[in-house]
Amino acid sequence: MSPLVIAFLVLALLTCGSALSMLWTKNLLHAALAMFLTMLGLSGLYVLAYADVLAVAHLLVYVGGVLILILFGIMLTNQTDPATGKNHLMTRESSRLFPFSIGLSFFLGLFWLFTKGPWINNLPVTGESKLREVGLGLLTEYAFPFELAGVFLLIALIGATFVAKSHD
Amino acid sequence: MTDIPVIYFLWVSAFLFATGLAILLLKKNTIFVLMGIELILNSANLNLVAFSKNDPSLQGLYLSIFVLVVGVCEMAIALAIVLQVYRNYRAIEVDQFKSDY
Repeated sequence: MSPLVIAFLVLALLTCGSALSMLWTKNLLHAALAMFLTMLGLSGLYVLAYADVLAVAHLLVYVGGVLILILFGIMLTNQTDPATGKNHLMTRESSRLFPFSIGLSFFLGLFWLFTKGPWINNLPVTGESKLREVGLGLLTEYAFPFELAGVFLLIALIGATFVAKSHD
Repeated sequence: MTDIPVIYFLWVSAFLFATGLAILLLKKNTIFVLMGIELILNSANLNLVAFSKNDPSLQGLYLSIFVLVVGVCEMAIALAIVLQVYRNYRAIEVDQFKSDY
């Protein structure tokens, strides 16, 4: 096995394992930590798919932004247990059988579809980093959507602060 | 140096999608449900990135950058809404949001 495949296996194991522990745990804070590990593994996978721009952006946005937002959300909506006066951040669940079987059947169906598909079977991910092409493309061909995405982000953040303030 | 086949990325992405869907169905806490949605978005992103390497015009990569931006906006707005809902109902779990009138 080449070192690239070994790196892929380690990162895939990190991603899938922490996603699975996110599914398994009932503790909200443990799930946020597991989501952090999932995003770390995912950005490694992006690097292995030669998308290093997206990997760095993903790391900045998810670990630096979304995870902090989620932690603030958890802190601002905590509820102490009235019986014991403690807060273990446990979430309730519906019956485990139904969601697990649906998730498993989706995974097996997609796995079967991807494996049987003649269109992708032995297509290798080839090439090198396309950093230069992506930068040029974002400022020439895709300049308008890029600016639009920036304005959209600004509108969303202003809207979020407006929605989150107390309307008394 | 042998490169990684696309199909490996697709398997990981299928696993992430299934896990996100199961989280969406299983958990009652609203913030947990939002985390499941993030997993599903990222599994779609992984597919786009894996396929765009065989495309010389890199359309999948550009689309995945915009998916990232939209995902962040969705998360910020959704958490603000969750906060406001918590102020009104004093509850965070999806089956406790019941109107009085």
